Amino acid sequence: MADMLATGVSGLIAFQRALDTTSHNIANASTDGYSRQQVDLVSNPADPNGSGWVGTGVNIATVRRLYDSAIAGQANIASSGFQQLDTFSTYASRVDNLFSDTTSGLSTTLQNFMNAVQAVADSPANISSRQVLLSQAQTLTDRLKGFDTSLRGMDSQIGAQLGSEAITITTTARSIASLNQQIVSALGTTGQPPNDLMDQRDKLIKDLSTHVSTSTVTQSDGSVNVFIGSGQALVMGVSSAKLSVASDEYGRSGTRLMLTNGGLSTDVTGAITGGTVGGLLQFRSQMLDPARNAIGQAAVTLATLVNQQQAAGLDLQGGIGGAMFAVGGTSVLPSTLNTGNSSLAVTRSSSSGLTAADYQMSYNGTAWQMVRTDTGAAVALSGAGTAASPFTADGLSIVVSGTPQSGDRFLVQPTATAANGMSVAITQPEKVAAAAPLLTSANAANTGSGSIDAGSVPNTAAWVRGSYTLGFTAANAWQATNAAGTVVASGAYTAGSPIAFNGVQVTVSGAPATGDSFLIKDNAGGTGDNRNALKIAALLNAPVLAGGTVSLNDAVGRLIGDVGVQTNQAQTGRDAQQIVLTDSQSALGNVSGVNLDEEAANLIRFQQAYQAAAKVVSIANSLFQTLLDATK
Amino acid sequence: MRISSSQIYQLAVQSMLSQQASLAKTQGQVATGKRVQTPADDPVAAVQMHQLAVQISQSDQYGKNSTIVTGRLQLEEQALNDANTVIQRTRELVVQANTATLNDADRQSIATELKARQGELLAIANRKDGNGEYLFAGLSGNTQPFARGSSGSIQYQGDTGARSVQVGDSLGVQDSDPGSRLFMDIIAGNGTFTTAASAGNAGSGVLDAGSVVNAAAWTPGNYTVSFTSANAWQATDSLGNVVGSGSYSSGASGSTIAFNGIQVGISGVPATGDSFTVASAGKQDVFSTMDNIIGALQSGASTDPKRAQFITKMNSSLQQLDQVDANFTQVHSQVGVRLAMLDDADTTRATTQADLTAASGQLSDLDYASAVSKMSQQLLGLQAAQQSFGSISKLSLFNYL
Repeated sequence: MADMLATGVSGLIAFQRALDTTSHNIANASTDGYSRQQVDLVSNPADPNGSGWVGTGVNIATVRRLYDSAIAGQANIASSGFQQLDTFSTYASRVDNLFSDTTSGLSTTLQNFMNAVQAVADSPANISSRQVLLSQAQTLTDRLKGFDTSLRGMDSQIGAQLGSEAITITTTARSIASLNQQIVSALGTTGQPPNDLMDQRDKLIKDLSTHVSTSTVTQSDGSVNVFIGSGQALVMGVSSAKLSVASDEYGRSGTRLMLTNGGLSTDVTGAITGGTVGGLLQFRSQMLDPARNAIGQAAVTLATLVNQQQAAGLDLQGGIGGAMFAVGGTSVLPSTLNTGNSSLAVTRSSSSGLTAADYQMSYNGTAWQMVRTDTGAAVALSGAGTAASPFTADGLSIVVSGTPQSGDRFLVQPTATAANGMSVAITQPEKVAAAAPLLTSANAANTGSGSIDAGSVPNTAAWVRGSYTLGFTAANAWQATNAAGTVVASGAYTAGSPIAFNGVQVTVSGAPATGDSFLIKDNAGGTGDNRNALKIAALLNAPVLAGGTVSLNDAVGRLIGDVGVQTNQAQTGRDAQQIVLTDSQSALGNVSGVNLDEEAANLIRFQQAYQAAAKVVSIANSLFQTLLDATK
Repeated sequence: MRISSSQIYQLAVQSMLSQQASLAKTQGQVATGKRVQTPADDPVAAVQMHQLAVQISQSDQYGKNSTIVTGRLQLEEQALNDANTVIQRTRELVVQANTATLNDADRQSIATELKARQGELLAIANRKDGNGEYLFAGLSGNTQPFARGSSGSIQYQGDTGARSVQVGDSLGVQDSDPGSRLFMDIIAGNGTFTTAASAGNAGSGVLDAGSVVNAAAWTPGNYTVSFTSANAWQATDSLGNVVGSGSYSSGASGSTIAFNGIQVGISGVPATGDSFTVASAGKQDVFSTMDNIIGALQSGASTDPKRAQFITKMNSSLQQLDQVDANFTQVHSQVGVRLAMLDDADTTRATTQADLTAASGQLSDLDYASAVSKMSQQLLGLQAAQQSFGSISKLSLFNYL
C-alpha cells in the first residue's frame, strides 16, 4: 500500500533540494563561468494494487548543469580570435601613433632637413645656415633612432609578455589537469557529474582560449584533453605540458615557444595561433619587424645618398666632402647548429637594390643559397663568395670565409640595425659639401663653337686636384695640361662624348677650332657655389630606391600607408570579431546563465510545492489520528 | 528565449563603453579639428597628406629662396645703376677732354676726377651682399674679386661661375653675375676691330673707331695701315702682305681707309711713315678702358702728333664706353627678366600652394557641422543607453516577493 506519509516526505525532500539548487543559482548569479543547475525530478515507481498502480512520490534523478559544450567551444574560438586581433591592434595603434605626429613625424623631419639643405644652397658661405642643416640632420637622426628605439622597446616588451603568457598557459594547463583528476574521481565515486568542478574546468579552458586558441576532446571518464595550435597536446588527462619561451637558433631571445611534454621539447612557434600569444607573434612578424627594417632601410638610403653626394662635392674649406651620416652595419647571425667554421661578411653595396627584408643564407654541401625570410622566395646569388668576387644579391655584397658544412646557415639582416647605429658624422658646419668640385669655362678668345659642360669628378678618390687647361691642338684632337704646363692626357675628340683624365670628366660639344681652349678649374675657392647642395636637396624626390622607381619620399609615404592600413585592418577586424564574440557569449549565456526572475519564480514554485508536500504530511498525520480516534 | 541576468548588465555596459569610445573619438576630432588623427583613421588620406605636406613644405622653401634671390638681384640692379652713373660721367669727361680749347693742366684735372671715378667703380665691383659675400666674385664669394695687380692693372680674382637658386621644382634662377661678365669681358672697339695710332707718328692723322662694311670679307687679324707718303696709304697683314692701298688727301671730309670689308674714317694730316694699327677686337675690361683714358689725359696733347694720338685714343675710348654701356644694359635687362621670372614664379606658387593646402585640408580637416551633429547623436545614444539601463536594472521579481 502506498505510504502517503512517505510520499509527502519524498516531496519535501525533493523540493528542499530544488530550493537548495535555486538558492545556489541565485548565489552564483554573477559567478564567472558558472552554469545554472537544475534538479531533475522523477516519480517513484508505483505500487500495484488490485484497482491499478498507486504512485509513491518523487525522487531526484540528478542535479544537472545546463551547458552546451558545442556553443562553449564556439565562444572559445571567438574569444581566441578576438584576443589575437585585440592584441595586434593595441600594439599596432602604438606604432600608428608614432607616425601620426605631424610636427615631429618622420615626413616632417625629413622635409625640414631637405629645406635646410636648400637654405644652404641659398647662401653657401653662410655658416649659420650650415649649422642649421647640421642641427636638422641631428634631429632627423634622432627621429629615425627614436622610431627604432620605440620599436625595439616593443620587441623586448613582446618577448617579456610572451614569457608571462607561457607561464600563465602552463599554470592553467596544470590546473586543468588537476581538475581532470578530481572530476574523474568524483564521477567514479558518486556516478553523478560534479557540476561545479566541471564549471571550474570549463572556465579555465575559456581563460586559456584568451591566451591561445584551444581545442578540446572529452574522454569517457569525464576528463578533457586540451590541444593548442595545430594539435599540440597541452593537457592529456591528468598530465600537462609546459610552455616556455626560448631563443631561436640565431640566438635571438624571446623568439621561440617550446612545448615540453615528458622531457620532449617541440618548437610550436609556427603552429600557434589565436589569443594574446597569437596576436603578439603576428604583430611581431607582420608589423614590427618589417617596420623596423623599413626604418633601417630609410636610414641606410638617406645616409648612402647624402654621403655619395657629399663625396662628389667640396666643402667650404675646399676639401672633398666627407660622409654626413653614419649608420649601423648589417647584422649576420650564425645558427648555433652550424658545424662548419665559416663566417659571412655582409656589406651593403647598392642602396637601390636594398630591400627591407631579412635573408637566410644556407650551405647545402655544394653551394650557398639565399632565401628571403618573409616570402620564402629564393634569391639568385651572383659571384663566387670570395673577397675578389663576392656574392651579390639585393644590394648586398657577401664574402664567405672559413669552411662551411652542409646545413650551416646564417640569418642576414641588412637593415635591422642600421637606424640604431645612426649618427651625424660631421660636426663642423664648414664640412657640408655645397660646392661642385670643378668650375669650367671657355677661353674668351675661342673662335670655334665648342662649349663645355659643368664637368664632374665621378670618383673623388682618383682625382688629381688642380686646374687644367683642355686645349684643342686640332679640331678633332684635345690635350689636357696642368697648371705647370705639363700635358697630362690627350685624345681624339668626338663631339658630346666624355673626356676623362686624372679623375676629371668633362664633355665638350659643338665644333671647337684649333687653338681653342677650356679652363677646368679646381673649385676649391668656390665658397659661394651651391651646385652640390642643390643635388643633395633633390635627393628626396629622386627615384633611387627599388631599382630606381621609388623616391625616399615615396618610401616614407609607403611606410606610413602600410602602418595605417595594417592598424586599420586590425581595428576593423577586432570590432567585427567583438560582435562574433558577444553573440557566442550571449548564446552560451542563454543556455547557462542564471536569470534571477526565473529563479524567483522557481523559488515561489518550489516553496509552494514544499508547502503542499508539508500539507500532505500534515493530512497523512490527521488521517492517522482520525483512525486512532475511531478506535478509541 | 531566456537571457541571463548578468548578460543584461554585460551587454548594457559593453554598449555604453563602445558608445563612449566613439564619443571620445568624435570629441578628439572636434577638439583638434582633424578628421584623420592617425594614419589608421584613413590610410589612403594619410599617404596623400604626407605627399601634400612635403609639397607644401617644399613650396614654402622655394618662397624663401625666391625672397633671397630677389634681394640679391636687387642689389645687383642697384650696383648696375651706380656703375652706369660712373660710366656716364666718364663719357662726359671724355667728351669734355676732347675739346680743343683745353690745355694739358685741364686734362690733368680731368684725369684726377677720372681716377676718383675709377675708384668708385672699383668699390661698386667689390660690393658685398647682406651675408658679407662679394656680389661679383662668381662662386668665390669670399675672395675680393677686383684688385690692382702687380702689373698695375686691375685684375679679376673671382671665377666665372654663377649660382643658381631653386625657386620651383624645375626652375632655377641665377642670383648674380660673375664680375668677369660685367666688368671684364667687354668686347673691345666696335666689336670687330680696334684702331690705334702708333706712338711714333709725326703727323696729325686721326682714325675714328671704324665700321664693318662687308662682314664676309673680313678676316680677323692684326693689320697695319701705313702712309707711304702723306697722301697714299697701304694696309698690310701681320705677315707683311699688302691687303689694301689707296690715296688720301687731307682736308677732304669723310675720307676713309677701306680694306678686307671694313672701313675706317681718317682726318688730319698724317706724315710719311706714320702708321696705324687695325686689330681684331678682343676683350677689354672697363678698368683698363679708364686706365687708357687717364693715361692719354696725363700724357698731354700739346703737339700736333700728340694731339692726333690723343684724339684717336679718345675716339676709341668713346667707342669702348659705348660697349661698356651696352654690356651693362644687357646684364641689366637679364636681371630684369630674372626678377620678372621670380614674380611669375611667386604668383604661380601662391596659387599652387593655396590649392595644395585646400587639398590637404579636404583630406584632413573635419567637417564641423557633420561632426557636431554626429556627436550630439552619439550623446543622445549614450544617454538613452544609460537611462534605459537604469530603468531595466530596477526591474526584478524579487521586488514583489
